[in-house]
Amino acid sequence: MSSRPPPGHFTLLYFASATAFSKKASEHFESPLPLTKLFELLESKYPGIKENVLHSCAVTINLDYVDLDLDQGADAEPVMIKEGDEVAIIPPVSSG
Amino acid sequence: MASADTTQESIDSLQARVKGLERELSELKSDLAAANARPSPSLETPTHPDSTDGLTPDGWTWPLAADEYKRYGRQMILPQIGLEGQLKLKSSSVLIVGAGGLGCPAAAYLAGAGVGKLGLVDGDTVEVSNLHRQILHGTHKVDMRKVDSAIQSLKGLNPTIQYVAHREHLTPLTSLDIFAQYDVILDCTDHPTSRYLISDTAVLLGKPLVSASALKTEGQLMVLNDPPLPRGDPSGGPCYRCVFPRPPPAESLVSCGEGGILGPVVGTMGVLQALETIKLITRRAASSSASGSPEKPTPSLLLFSAYGSPPFRSIRLRSRRANCLACSALSPESGCITKESLSSGSLDYVQFCGVTKPVNILAADERVTATEYNNARKTGNTGKEQGVLIDVREKVLYDICHIDNSINIPYSTIVAESRRMPSPSPSPSTPTSSSVEAQNTQNTQNLQEAGNDATWFPNVPSNAPIHVICRLGNDSQLAVRRFQEMGLAQGGNRYIGDIKGGLKAWKDEVDKSWPEV
Repeated sequence: MSSRPPPGHFTLLYFASATAFSKKASEHFESPLPLTKLFELLESKYPGIKENVLHSCAVTINLDYVDLDLDQGADAEPVMIKEGDEVAIIPPVSSG
Repeated sequence: MASADTTQESIDSLQARVKGLERELSELKSDLAAANARPSPSLETPTHPDSTDGLTPDGWTWPLAADEYKRYGRQMILPQIGLEGQLKLKSSSVLIVGAGGLGCPAAAYLAGAGVGKLGLVDGDTVEVSNLHRQILHGTHKVDMRKVDSAIQSLKGLNPTIQYVAHREHLTPLTSLDIFAQYDVILDCTDHPTSRYLISDTAVLLGKPLVSASALKTEGQLMVLNDPPLPRGDPSGGPCYRCVFPRPPPAESLVSCGEGGILGPVVGTMGVLQALETIKLITRRAASSSASGSPEKPTPSLLLFSAYGSPPFRSIRLRSRRANCLACSALSPESGCITKESLSSGSLDYVQFCGVTKPVNILAADERVTATEYNNARKTGNTGKEQGVLIDVREKVLYDICHIDNSINIPYSTIVAESRRMPSPSPSPSTPTSSSVEAQNTQNTQNLQEAGNDATWFPNVPSNAPIHVICRLGNDSQLAVRRFQEMGLAQGGNRYIGDIKGGLKAWKDEVDKSWPEV
């Protein structure tokens, strides 16, 4: 599923409803990338994903939850996605 | 005809009688098991370590009854449980909200482990489509209340503990009163509205919450509000809102009925909920921990992807969100959630999570009923040309059953293709004041250009009428509009419409034998 990213890239994992847009479980993107640019990048690749998935999803970097509201505040140090990082798009699953 | 009807009636009535008697027998069996298991005549009173229950005339002085040592011995010999843990389980009370795919396995293991009191909340009845995953229910319990069916099975499993049936859907008006009677809450529900309601109620009452969910082949598990410190205390565990402050858009919601669910996937998540609950109840205080190290819970989100590698991933969560509406130090003036705002019904969870209305965007002349379409098909009169019927359900559903000669183009493909199509931009050859017609012409060209290698659209005469059908008649309307926006209507020369009510209407009106999926 998630092979090691090639040099200069990071891995993005898609879970639950995110895969409805990506049609795959993971892919690689060029690094470094500011976290703030991630959603724009994905929206340009998968139109509609921002409103339907990213707006309500959790995001993790290397299995750590990143708080987009706080981390992307005006005075916060911008979070950079680095080479080799594993980033995940985790929409809430509600069914049971 | 009349005799066939009579035969059918007597078969139906016999089946109903068999079902009723099976249910009665099953109830009698579980009552008998309960009566055998306990000398006390009361079924609803739990045995207490200090009561005389389990006391034999020769003076039984051990903290648990003799049969409890036997019943729980295999878990009590684990150092993580021990006698202390078993006594904690016995004096604990657990509420399971939702007696479905998560709640059934969770309840089975918690009843088996010997929690003192187990409450179940659910307002639904058992359906045949539940049985592949909701393991406490059975074929003979179809139409029975899920809560009653579950408790009946649980009594067979362990008749020595107390069960409480809450035969209702949880609402903001009842959640506080129900939760107040329990120590730990399990969210085994299936909708964002109940997930936020359960989390908010648990935070307000200071109860830890074990939350799980599952859809298709994936599941999520979190232990929330643990430790359940007062709101505003940053050392308390995060709540559901801290992790997912914004609900997913209602339009994007997929239920197990629509998206599908693999039984063992949701079962795994329910079993893990029971495990986390046992760990939580039997957890030792930091000072008395065997290793001497404090057993401070670290909040995490466990992701299970049955077909992923690795199948499990554990996400480290953050502590409480500083501006959380439920568990932060926000004042009521800043809109925080209070017991009053919850129980007064002023919090509208349905509105917060959004509602989907049935789609109704097509004009009357763009829709035909299933009956009308079937009649037109039989007479070959679906339009001037041989028309095409497009089924816009996902391929897997189409593959299970579809109408003869229909063509499958999943709605998701239509959406993706329409987005891929370049939006008509003003070009020297197109006037900037391009009318809708000009736009459509442009789009038609785009489609036709793409059509050469576009495998997604069938190769049919460009004026062949298009009828669109889906499961319930919502996506079909959206698909009709998408097709029109792509210019497929040929500026009005080609009919594009949908079949009202979709395949459900087809089953009701035209083909009673249509298999229900």
